[in-house]
Amino acid sequence: MSNEHTVKSYEEELQFLVDSVIKMGSLTESQMVDSMDAVIKVDKDSIDKIIKSDEEINKFRSKIDSQIMTLLVKRAPMAIDLRETISSLKISQDLERIGDLSKSNAKKVKPLPLDLPEELLANLKRLGELVIKQLNDVLDSYVNKNYDKAKEVWEKDEQVDDLTYIAMESVIDFLSKDKKNLDFSTHLIFATKNLERAGDHITNIAETICYLIKGEYLKGSRPKGKVIQE
Amino acid sequence: MSNIKIKSKNLNVYYGQKQALFDVNLDINEKEVTALIGPSGCGKSTFIRCINRMNDVIDICKVEGNIEIDGIEVNDKELDVVSLRERVGMVFQKPNPFPKSIYDNISYGPKIHGKGETKSELDEIVEKSLRKAALWEEVKDRLDEPGTGLSGGQQQRLCIARAISVNPEVILMDEPCSALDPIATAKIEELIDELKKTYTIVIVTHSMAQAVRVSQKTGFFHLGKVIEVGKTEKIFKNPDNKMTQDYITGRFG
Repeated sequence: MSNEHTVKSYEEELQFLVDSVIKMGSLTESQMVDSMDAVIKVDKDSIDKIIKSDEEINKFRSKIDSQIMTLLVKRAPMAIDLRETISSLKISQDLERIGDLSKSNAKKVKPLPLDLPEELLANLKRLGELVIKQLNDVLDSYVNKNYDKAKEVWEKDEQVDDLTYIAMESVIDFLSKDKKNLDFSTHLIFATKNLERAGDHITNIAETICYLIKGEYLKGSRPKGKVIQE
Repeated sequence: MSNIKIKSKNLNVYYGQKQALFDVNLDINEKEVTALIGPSGCGKSTFIRCINRMNDVIDICKVEGNIEIDGIEVNDKELDVVSLRERVGMVFQKPNPFPKSIYDNISYGPKIHGKGETKSELDEIVEKSLRKAALWEEVKDRLDEPGTGLSGGQQQRLCIARAISVNPEVILMDEPCSALDPIATAKIEELIDELKKTYTIVIVTHSMAQAVRVSQKTGFFHLGKVIEVGKTEKIFKNPDNKMTQDYITGRFG
């Protein structure tokens, strides 16, 4: 942000809002790391902790909502301040949805057998790592108001699409070998899809950050990779 | 595209030694509301006072450059200032009705401009003007009472009715709501919305929110210069100039 506001408390309120979004982002990121870890390791003990952390994320969301309402009514923000306020509303919504998806993935660990073949999980793991990296990068671009970095994340979602396709294929392949695998394969398919959807929310955040910084929306449609037909 | 009603070209204004406006180039679109914003003393009022040559009454004031209305030079010494002010009405910060009846406040202008010959013609103008200023229903039964007895908001609408009564083309408003409560302000803003269908309006305001609500175009003045002019929405969502952004977001130091 440029110069400081004449009204100090306005400055503090805006900064407090941005800080809340950053904190919510970092909670969402560690929740996603934990959830991914639980899936890959089929670690059933950590499920409750991940579900609990989702409650924390949701609490942040309502806290941010209320901060935004106060800012709007008290300050009637304009220009960059208006964009900052509206962006935090949008970003917190996307973060909350990402949190829900991580929680949903954690819940899928319960019915998984402990002896899942490694090659089955390898592609899912790669996808998870990429989505976590994307989330980390997008939050980084928010903290540093880095337009190029946000745009890079937006463009890289193509790779998320591609890895989703590959991960899906390997699960379907595994499933087709033995019908007994149907039960937990379905869970893995949903988990893969959830990661892809988290990736979409991350690109939404990247778009919001670009708008926040330049005041105009990214032009053209986002590059898309291979997509599983729904 | 809207037609340009008023065009200022390299307008410079001096009060004695002090220069108040520097090379102001600003186009005002016809039948639109243009808001002028900027810190106190930045030249917005000086600028609008050039449009109907109100600065003529200040001895030490010197105006250079051009202001055209429909392509005709306002500063032309041959131009009849009275008929100019008939075309360009003005409403001020503090409501200033004449110490006369409500009726006389409205009929005075048409009378001196020879617009209402008979009583019935004048009656018609008074009613029409008060209706346009959204005041008729509130005052129709007490037209002979003094205008100064009305509430602040009503007085301001009376002044707008007075400006309208001579059927001008342009209405200049210099902070017309700064002395009014929120309801009276809302009524004036509602009125401005209606009036812009007929008139070209230039409004000076210190309320950013008001500029956003009432205007289609906004000009930001600073130290006598126009820093940025553009569509109101653009100015308040994403201005090009950093100084504009600092001003509208309250960062001016």
